[in-house]
Amino acid sequence: MSESRTQLTEMADGLFAELRGQGFDAIWPRLEEAGFGLLLLPETEGGFGGDFGDLAAVMRLAGFHALAAPLGEHVLTQWLLNEGGLGGEGFTALASGLNSPVPWGRHADRVLVPAEGRTFLARGTVTEGASPVGEPRDVITFEMDSAESLDIEANLLGLVAFLRVCQTAGALDAALALAVDYCSQRVQFGRTLSQFQAVQHSIALLASEAAAVNCAATGVAEALDRGDADFEIAAAKLRTNTAIKTGCALAHQVHGAIGFTQEYPLNELTRRMMGWRSEGGNDAYWSARIGGQAIAWGSESLWDELTRRTDPKS
Amino acid sequence: MQSFAHYAFIAPQNAQQIRQELRAFLAEHLPQGDPVLKANCWMNFDPQFSRELGRAGYIGMLWPKEYGGHERNPLERYIVLEELLAASAPVGAHWIADRQTGPLILRYGTEEQRRKYLPGMAAGEIYSCIGLSEPNSGSDLASVRTSARKTDNGWLINGQKIWTSGAHHSHVMLALVRSEQGSDRQRGLSQFLIDLDTPGITIRPIVDMFGGHHFNEVFFEDVLVPHGALIGTEGEGWKQATSELALERSGPERYLSSHALLAELIDSVGPDADPLLVTTIGKLVSDMWTLRHMSMSVAAKLAAGQDPMVEASIVKDLGCSFEQDLPVAVQAVVDADLADSSTLARMMAVLLQAAPSFSLRGGTREVLRGIIARGLGLR
Repeated sequence: MSESRTQLTEMADGLFAELRGQGFDAIWPRLEEAGFGLLLLPETEGGFGGDFGDLAAVMRLAGFHALAAPLGEHVLTQWLLNEGGLGGEGFTALASGLNSPVPWGRHADRVLVPAEGRTFLARGTVTEGASPVGEPRDVITFEMDSAESLDIEANLLGLVAFLRVCQTAGALDAALALAVDYCSQRVQFGRTLSQFQAVQHSIALLASEAAAVNCAATGVAEALDRGDADFEIAAAKLRTNTAIKTGCALAHQVHGAIGFTQEYPLNELTRRMMGWRSEGGNDAYWSARIGGQAIAWGSESLWDELTRRTDPKS
Repeated sequence: MQSFAHYAFIAPQNAQQIRQELRAFLAEHLPQGDPVLKANCWMNFDPQFSRELGRAGYIGMLWPKEYGGHERNPLERYIVLEELLAASAPVGAHWIADRQTGPLILRYGTEEQRRKYLPGMAAGEIYSCIGLSEPNSGSDLASVRTSARKTDNGWLINGQKIWTSGAHHSHVMLALVRSEQGSDRQRGLSQFLIDLDTPGITIRPIVDMFGGHHFNEVFFEDVLVPHGALIGTEGEGWKQATSELALERSGPERYLSSHALLAELIDSVGPDADPLLVTTIGKLVSDMWTLRHMSMSVAAKLAAGQDPMVEASIVKDLGCSFEQDLPVAVQAVVDADLADSSTLARMMAVLLQAAPSFSLRGGTREVLRGIIARGLGLR
């Protein structure tokens, strides 16, 4: 890990912990002040010069601390606008499709939205909506006539999937930490829950699912940094969706009733993850794509592709 | 809290070259038998293939040249292993020697032991098995009772090992034995290299539930082995034996051993495949891709000189679950019953029946989850 990434994650960890439980209006100025919008912009253009590995590490922490702001979307739209030669004042939201609810759309000046295989910068009429945990997910009726086409190739849906994979990596680790903590303290039948083998094994499985998503997130970030991550995004998001199903269920199970209360912080993690399963492509979408790709390649080329992608270019 | 310490697998610059050379080797040397044999390939014993692999420099890759090794680096070796498994090569004969026994001899062995075993192992000619389990000592390994008593002429070994994979094909057993009479649990255990042609050893097959012969009972009746058969430090056997378990649990065989079935499934469907079949393949490939990244991270941690005990247990547990789900997932979508004569159906039948063993061998699922729980501070 680079030294700059260590500094970045230490800063993000502290800041996000402090911002936990706060709303957009309180969070946003702090994120702007910290300069996250510049994360992926080159140093020559006044940016941080970060890579997708840096973004993955930051988004993992955003997920860990249940950060209630469109941080990843902001980082990506700033980067995409810059790539497209456009300036990016304020917050530009990110839509994964013309009809997909837009995270914090109501707070955006403009939205990057995919249509007809291209990426547009558009405005529109906002109909407010919310995710299970109360984050804005606004439906926007875009005014495509006045939308500006960007001269970039970007897979916005895939990028949203990448963000959700990274956030889930952090959220599952946070749910794991809560589970370990709670079960080490709660006493029933004269011993802590952590001393019951059935509970130990449930938490071990939760840890394994969290581990899978953490590795998947790193795998996608590495692919994005190499320049082609279509395959990896599909594989990682699909695996992440499974991990959310298994991981959330286990985290709640070992917590018993307390985990089901509004007061206890587990639901801030699990209800977010429940929403993320549908965002950035659901199981049907990604499994059809990756399955179709594998069949089109055939087994030998599939293996050759997998290995070629992680090997240095010779 | 971080569930998994991620280590970046920085593939060597010559990775593609290694793969192309090995694929060319396999194109020439892979046996052209019944394709169904490719399922569960790392259990397949083929001494001719192992010798050719050894001759080409793919066994003992990390060991010093003076012991027949090739002084390559661990990630180069990882690449070779995953290529062998992805091609479903019959690597069973030399696998244990290459993965576990050889490295242990290199670490703890005397000069004499190294010279006696390592060159033959690297040549793909000397095979080994692991003598851990006993009739009353399975997952609870510390209850080992097979004994070694020191005499003037050597160590006298008495007792019985069981579930010993490949003992009937092996030249030597690395056995964990109680060398201090009356000692308890982890104390007083030592490791011995026991040549299996020593008088007093009887090896009996245990036929598995679908007719295969992989594991055995091995009996020791007044088996006299030389003093030089003790490996490492007397009384330190527990520490030595458990330190090698990370090697046993961290390799790509824990998710790639059934790869032949996934490959066969992918190649069996045409462009207009049933959507359910396509999504099933998508799900399996996604799991496989994730496990590969997890396994590579464990390999990188091992290569960095760290002990990946917890991470390796996570990968083995998830990898076994994946390999157990695989034939069931295939069965759910493929229109063929188990009497069908197609390669796909026969492979599926083999793996459905082999699958229960996946979460038993090399540490049961329960043992692994206990290790993970301990890593999390729960016990």
